[in-house]
Amino acid sequence: MNLAAYGLSAAATIALAAAIAALVVPARWRPAVSGTGTALAGLAGLVGGAAAAGGQSFAVALPGVLPLSGVSLAADPLSGVFMAVTGGVAVSVGIYAIGYARHTGTGPVPAAVLPLFAASMLGVLAAASVPTLLACWELMALASLLLVLTEHRRRPEVAEAGRWYAVMTHLGFACILAGLMIFAAHAGGDSFAALRAGAGRLAPAAWGTVFVLTLAGFGSKAGMVPLHAWLPRAHPEAPSHVSALMSAAMVNLGVYGIIRVDFGLLGGGGARGWWLLVLALGAVSAVYGILQAAMCGDLKRLLGYSTSENMGLVLIGVGAAGLFAASGQRLLAGLALAAALLHVANHAAFKTLLFLSAGSVLRGTGIRDLDALGGLRAPMPVTTAAFGWGALAASALPPGTAFVSEWLLVQALIHGFPGGGTAAAVVLPTAVAAVALTAGLAVATFVKAFGIGFLARPRSDGAARAVESPVSMLAGMGLAGAACAVLALAPGLVLPAIARAVSATGLAGEPPPTGGGLLTLRLAGVAGAVSPMLLTIALLAVMLAAAAGLRAVPGRRARRAARLWDCGAGPLTARMEYTATSFAEPLQRVFDDVVAPETDIDVSHHDEARYLVAAVEYRSRVPDRIEHRLYRPVLAAVGAWGTAGRRLAPGSVHRYLGYGFCAVTVLLIVLAVTR
Amino acid sequence: MLSLWRAIRAAGRIAEPSPPRPGPGLAAGALGGSVQVRHVDAGSCNGCEVEIGAAFGPVYDAERYGARLVASPRHADVLLVTGVVTRNMAEPLRRTYDAVPAPKRVVAVGDCARDCGVLAGAYGVAGAAGDIVPVDAGVPGCPPRPEAIVAALRELTGR
Repeated sequence: MNLAAYGLSAAATIALAAAIAALVVPARWRPAVSGTGTALAGLAGLVGGAAAAGGQSFAVALPGVLPLSGVSLAADPLSGVFMAVTGGVAVSVGIYAIGYARHTGTGPVPAAVLPLFAASMLGVLAAASVPTLLACWELMALASLLLVLTEHRRRPEVAEAGRWYAVMTHLGFACILAGLMIFAAHAGGDSFAALRAGAGRLAPAAWGTVFVLTLAGFGSKAGMVPLHAWLPRAHPEAPSHVSALMSAAMVNLGVYGIIRVDFGLLGGGGARGWWLLVLALGAVSAVYGILQAAMCGDLKRLLGYSTSENMGLVLIGVGAAGLFAASGQRLLAGLALAAALLHVANHAAFKTLLFLSAGSVLRGTGIRDLDALGGLRAPMPVTTAAFGWGALAASALPPGTAFVSEWLLVQALIHGFPGGGTAAAVVLPTAVAAVALTAGLAVATFVKAFGIGFLARPRSDGAARAVESPVSMLAGMGLAGAACAVLALAPGLVLPAIARAVSATGLAGEPPPTGGGLLTLRLAGVAGAVSPMLLTIALLAVMLAAAAGLRAVPGRRARRAARLWDCGAGPLTARMEYTATSFAEPLQRVFDDVVAPETDIDVSHHDEARYLVAAVEYRSRVPDRIEHRLYRPVLAAVGAWGTAGRRLAPGSVHRYLGYGFCAVTVLLIVLAVTR
Repeated sequence: MLSLWRAIRAAGRIAEPSPPRPGPGLAAGALGGSVQVRHVDAGSCNGCEVEIGAAFGPVYDAERYGARLVASPRHADVLLVTGVVTRNMAEPLRRTYDAVPAPKRVVAVGDCARDCGVLAGAYGVAGAAGDIVPVDAGVPGCPPRPEAIVAALRELTGR
């Protein structure tokens, strides 16, 4: 037993104890027990994960726990990185949940499931065989579904979001199940070691089938377009700390699955076309996700789409890594994978912060609609600062967190141009353009979310009555904010762990993709270096110098205080302010063909005179186009199929007996003929 | 495009020849030869507005002399006030005056703005422009001729 093993077993024990305690303690203590249990389990996971990422690996087989296959657990640096991220998110979320659940009230089931959800995610990461992975995956899916449904009694929309989530997550599970079963059958064993050993024996067709099935299953969990439909539905309706846990930790497991199974076990070999597919899906997810986020007026839905965008960026990195590995550029493959893993950690940090502060806004105002928010700077200063810091981190500008990983990603893509062949020469520049477009749109999106949501004057009564959240919620946000700061200013702290994780995926034997000290990030093999800390200091120095310069230069004329110009009529009201919809309108116009907004104008006339207008109603919304075009027809076809199927069951017992007779006869005939 | 060129050639120059340059005016130095003008209709019958429009049109072309109409008092040096100041416009006129950065000048255009004209003592009239804000110059006439408005503006621009 080493620290990693101790950490994981402590996490499991604490989570189980907290779940049982949350069921039995009185309702007054429930939020504290559940939140503290989640935070402690997360802390244990963080410590264990950090130890595993630091090189302490372990493997245990517990044959008696599950029937038939048993449970087999292991940790290596790759799962360690993801465990540390998951644990870190769970610590913030657990502390935050104490205050949040006290405000909303929580039933015994959601309170008990929260620590179990955190532990089941750690279980997925520790799984070292197909049955263990599937069991933990299903446990995680069910736990998250129960948590999404927490508020279903209060709001009917929650039930619909839950249905979408349940169906999508189980379709994904079915894909993973089928893919891994085929893989295990061909490889002749269900432990990861057996899969890795047997991957070379797979025929190209089986390889492709396994790849596509697992990519679809894991990708749907990661919010990959076009399988993202659950994400913008489930996130707004779940309680905010659950959204944070799902959006910052659970979606990462989809990426983990793709890296572990498709990159690690199936081997980076295989046809390059499959990795081009991953890269293309990542690019589409990134651009489509951020475009929808830019149009979105609902704060938490916006963050949900932004998750899709960031997972898209990660998939670009993973796809590029596969592409480079398949064409023998192993150094670049390591660099691209390191960029993807760093972005996973960064995204987890800032998305936790953003969802937790969105939850704080929701608690303080009861509003998610950006068009009704505003004016939160004075009543909620800490939440405003937290969201502002998170928005800066999410918009890929220094000193933001996402800047470092996106810079690494772009470096990896650019250095892959030469020596990649025709496909790389076409795809990689396009991918760079997609990353650049995504970064630009992300800035617009988060300027909108922060500027409209928090600044100016309150646009509704709810926003005007905003109150700051209790200390435990602020502490949860503070932890996430501190993690953002560390990752943004000193990525050198986590890069050695990520380098070990990269070599654990099968790219062993290469020098670590990034080097340099704490301050400077130096790329191995290609020319490139950046120092986020010095960049930030320079930025601050320039800003201070500019401010001091403006102060030092005396004004030509004396300043006088004057009334804000309101066309002489006044007073200016909050209705005259810029709204999220109006802020996004120019972008909506530019991307009109892509997002296809819908507008309706209803003009109703007076009965006496048709020339007099009684009321004009204008509605505008930006539907999810992929959902419209892809899901509606499928759902309609399934519905029609079900209706047609009902004709087979008219209620006549004779007919049902006949069905049974026919089926047995046909089966016997088939068996007789084939044997 | 070609028809536009043809129209321009056919019309030729229609601006009036410019009258002789005025002597040093009341604000020529302070405003530096370039005057941004904000027009405030404080209760006019729109007769003066038509004439101001003509003064800035192609025939009288006040912009030749450095005067320019702007859309906000924040951008302006000079207010052109027309009409008697009605009760509803008294406060907005005061606020507009306050919103103009110093140095500023106010010109009352038309008899109504100068001394209430035919509407003196009427219901709803708060007074002439000079009763509400300090007025520096006036243009008589009901309505004043565009030449008179241009001449008043040239006093301000000094060009």
